[in-house]
Amino acid sequence: MTKKKDVLLKIRDLKIEGYSDETWVPIIKGVDLTLHRGEVMGLIGESGAGKSTIGAACMGYARDGTRISNGSIEFDGMELTTATEADRRMLRGSRIAYVAQSAAASFNPAHKIIDQHTEAPLQYRLKKRLEAQEDAMELYEKLRLPNPQEIGFRYPHQVSGGQLQRAMTAMAMSCRPDLIIFDEPTTALDVTTQIEVLAAIRDIVDEFNTAAIYITHDLAVVAQMADTIKVLLKGEEVEEAPTKEMLDNPQEEYTKSLWAVRSFESPQKQRPKDGVPLISVRHVDAAYTKGEKILDDVSFDIYEGMTVAVVGESGSGKSTTARVITGLLPPMKGEVLFKGTPFPPDYRNRTKDQLRQCQMIYQMADTALNPKLKISELIGRPAQFYGGLKGVALKNRVDALLDMIELEPSQYYNRYPTELSGGQKQRIGIARALAAEPSFIVCDEVTSALDQLVAEGILRLLDRLQRDLNLAYMFITHDLATVRSIADEVVVMQHGKVVEQGPKDDMFTPPHHPYTDLLLSSVPEMDPNWLTTLLEERGIDNVGDAAAARLDPKDPKLTGANA
Amino acid sequence: MSVFVIIYYTLLLGASCLAAYFNKRSAFLLLFSLTLVSFVLGIVGGVGALRAVAIAAGLLALAAMVSYAFREFLIAIASHNMAKELRTAPLTAAFGMFVIFTYAIAGIFAPWIAPFGEAQVISSAFAPADENMLLGADQLGRDMFSRIIYGARNTVALALAGTVLAFTLGAMAGLLAATTGGYFDQFLGRMSDVIMSIPSLIFALLMLSIFGGELANDTTSFWLLTGFAVLVGLLFVTAVAEGNVMSWIIGLAIMVGVAVAFAGGMLVIFNPSEIILVLVVAVIYSPRVFRLTRAVAGNVVVMDYIEAAKLRGERRWYLIRREILPNSAAPLVAEFGLEFCFVFLLIAGLSFLGLGIQPPTADWGSMVRENATLISFGELTPLIPAAAIALLTVAVNFVVDWMLYRSSGLKV
Repeated sequence: MTKKKDVLLKIRDLKIEGYSDETWVPIIKGVDLTLHRGEVMGLIGESGAGKSTIGAACMGYARDGTRISNGSIEFDGMELTTATEADRRMLRGSRIAYVAQSAAASFNPAHKIIDQHTEAPLQYRLKKRLEAQEDAMELYEKLRLPNPQEIGFRYPHQVSGGQLQRAMTAMAMSCRPDLIIFDEPTTALDVTTQIEVLAAIRDIVDEFNTAAIYITHDLAVVAQMADTIKVLLKGEEVEEAPTKEMLDNPQEEYTKSLWAVRSFESPQKQRPKDGVPLISVRHVDAAYTKGEKILDDVSFDIYEGMTVAVVGESGSGKSTTARVITGLLPPMKGEVLFKGTPFPPDYRNRTKDQLRQCQMIYQMADTALNPKLKISELIGRPAQFYGGLKGVALKNRVDALLDMIELEPSQYYNRYPTELSGGQKQRIGIARALAAEPSFIVCDEVTSALDQLVAEGILRLLDRLQRDLNLAYMFITHDLATVRSIADEVVVMQHGKVVEQGPKDDMFTPPHHPYTDLLLSSVPEMDPNWLTTLLEERGIDNVGDAAAARLDPKDPKLTGANA
Repeated sequence: MSVFVIIYYTLLLGASCLAAYFNKRSAFLLLFSLTLVSFVLGIVGGVGALRAVAIAAGLLALAAMVSYAFREFLIAIASHNMAKELRTAPLTAAFGMFVIFTYAIAGIFAPWIAPFGEAQVISSAFAPADENMLLGADQLGRDMFSRIIYGARNTVALALAGTVLAFTLGAMAGLLAATTGGYFDQFLGRMSDVIMSIPSLIFALLMLSIFGGELANDTTSFWLLTGFAVLVGLLFVTAVAEGNVMSWIIGLAIMVGVAVAFAGGMLVIFNPSEIILVLVVAVIYSPRVFRLTRAVAGNVVVMDYIEAAKLRGERRWYLIRREILPNSAAPLVAEFGLEFCFVFLLIAGLSFLGLGIQPPTADWGSMVRENATLISFGELTPLIPAAAIALLTVAVNFVVDWMLYRSSGLKV
């Protein structure tokens, strides 16, 4: 709180209730918040902590099925809880703006970006259309979007995710609001893209001296953005302090546990000297029907009981590789060997036993579990299908599996997936894979949809299961912190090619391949000055897409020149 | 100024003031605008108009109270989970359920409820209502009330049978098309396009004039029914057998047996001309069901859990039965209600044209036509069966609205 200025937003004893099972359940249990002009406050906490609910409440808005039951929200001297809907609506967009998590889902795909941008200034009669458009282009330029004169005239789907997120920030700025609420604006983006969005947001908030509330579950990100940090847990405030102080000297146990999350690291295992790899991908080329080649000469080995992390930004062919291995996408060229014998390229031609050996855990547990089946059937089906278990034997097996994933069998046996939290769902996904008694599991971004604490739990679970059951994992991720904690070997992919592979420790010690270097240096660190330092080192225009494009594909590997 | 008028205005004004005092905005607006309208109505229409308003309001209140009580009754007797669902039902849905329930009782117990037989002539033509006949007599002197009760049985049973058949054919084809894709999907899709390109009423008239008359006998309808059942059965066997010769043979054998049994069973319930009507309706409406099912299932098929099940090596029948069908059931149930209304109206319409249910079987559509001449004498009798049709349609739609609302996943 270096800038002591007048108070912009004052929330006192805010209580919000949500309607579920025919009763009103408290979601926010009395939170105070004071935000000064030009101050950026970071709200962090795991999902269900009420971050987004508070964010919405700052606009005097209660989502469907929730209500503000108590407390006061005072925005620039105006009490929002008692204001009429029309008055509150006058604030939104003009004086308080909102940037949502997924810009791709928040833009209307039927209108051009600039038309959506100018909607608010026109609505509030702040500017004429042409003025507003010129202003939009200026903002685009400030946010370093490519072709600021032209980009606004594209439709949202013609623009990449990172650019869209910046366009949304520009849109929030269109009326020069006093307060912007950022609800996890970079959570859905790659690390390399995340940087450019972060840098852009920070600059523009500084320039217009806008107050902001930055909601995220990523500590490293909030450390770059916020002046003060407020930690929330289950609708209650844990503590609040200026960023520096909070990072160096957290007071509460819960905060300390959040900080400690990144400490988990499983010991690196070495390849067995002799022996056949469990899964061996040999010179695989693959493409979707008549499309461009997605994979180009991909080869790597996975040994029994080891974890191979496949990293790369989205579109680099990580998931496609997994689809080739599981047989969902037969390769154009090359083959997949299982213990030295070739796997049939199409899963339909594989035997039951071959299918059993190779299981998959999905990124989105929501869509990976049939919402209409009970947990007992979700987990029991593979055991019944492959093992032919019935009756009591089946029930015992399901109980054992639930024990294995650290869920109380009697409590979860008869529940449906929709009644579980994200982390619990992911555990059920793991149990389903284990039920087949596989030797190899593909983990496709299993932790990227989860909060750090929960993700940590999942990683520890996977690590323990690997030791107990001698499983091999292919771990697809774009999060290098995850790689650091669980991988034994790393495969780096870019544009469908393997650019570097080797044991983990080698990967994290220089010299790197330039692309690996870019990935590594883009991971946010807890140091609040990290972003500033990085931008100084790399230059303001050399982040994200620009930096990736600048890499020369013919650059001889491991030159070290770029490091 | 009669006492009625004084009470009328006192009640309205008092209620408006109370609503305003207790800050019930919408109630106040409704009551007070009704008061204002009543001033005008009272001047223009006199006491009679006010009385009509009062009766209409009373009827509405009665319907609301019945619906409320019926919903509470259902909640009280239902299991825990069901009760939870029922509590979300709006009053309109409760009203719809009540009406459907009443119709079901009337249809099932028609011979015990109706005082006379459906073809029994008991008085002179168009006799007015007396203590013997609740609603008077029709053009041949048969009791109107008894015929309405029997009509509930005939018309609704036919519509229900037609819809069920249309759904079995359409839904099965849709699910198969969504899971199989490729040429099979294309073929079924174009078939349904062809059927849908012919206007349904004209298509029905055409089919009925081909199969009606001479051909409407037991043998023809038996073979037609068997043919239909074999068609549906073929789809089932395709879904279950999946390339294994043995299971194809066994499946086909079972299927033929079931088809013949089904045809025999249907012949016991319905007479030949009714069976042809049901089949025509099923053929006309199945493409719509096919399209909807294919679209809904198409959205489910791309989910990760289907991929997981496929990778597990699950067969198509398991995918359809356990993974896809439960996740597309809600829109299909809602569609069932809607299609039932359309089928019902189509049958009533065909009967009105004289091609549907044949006399002397009581049927609401043909009852409207037979008594239509009375309209010119200012009699309301022909409107009673019409009202019965309208009420059921509205009721079913109320319930369907509620289901659609629930299946769209909106909360509160």
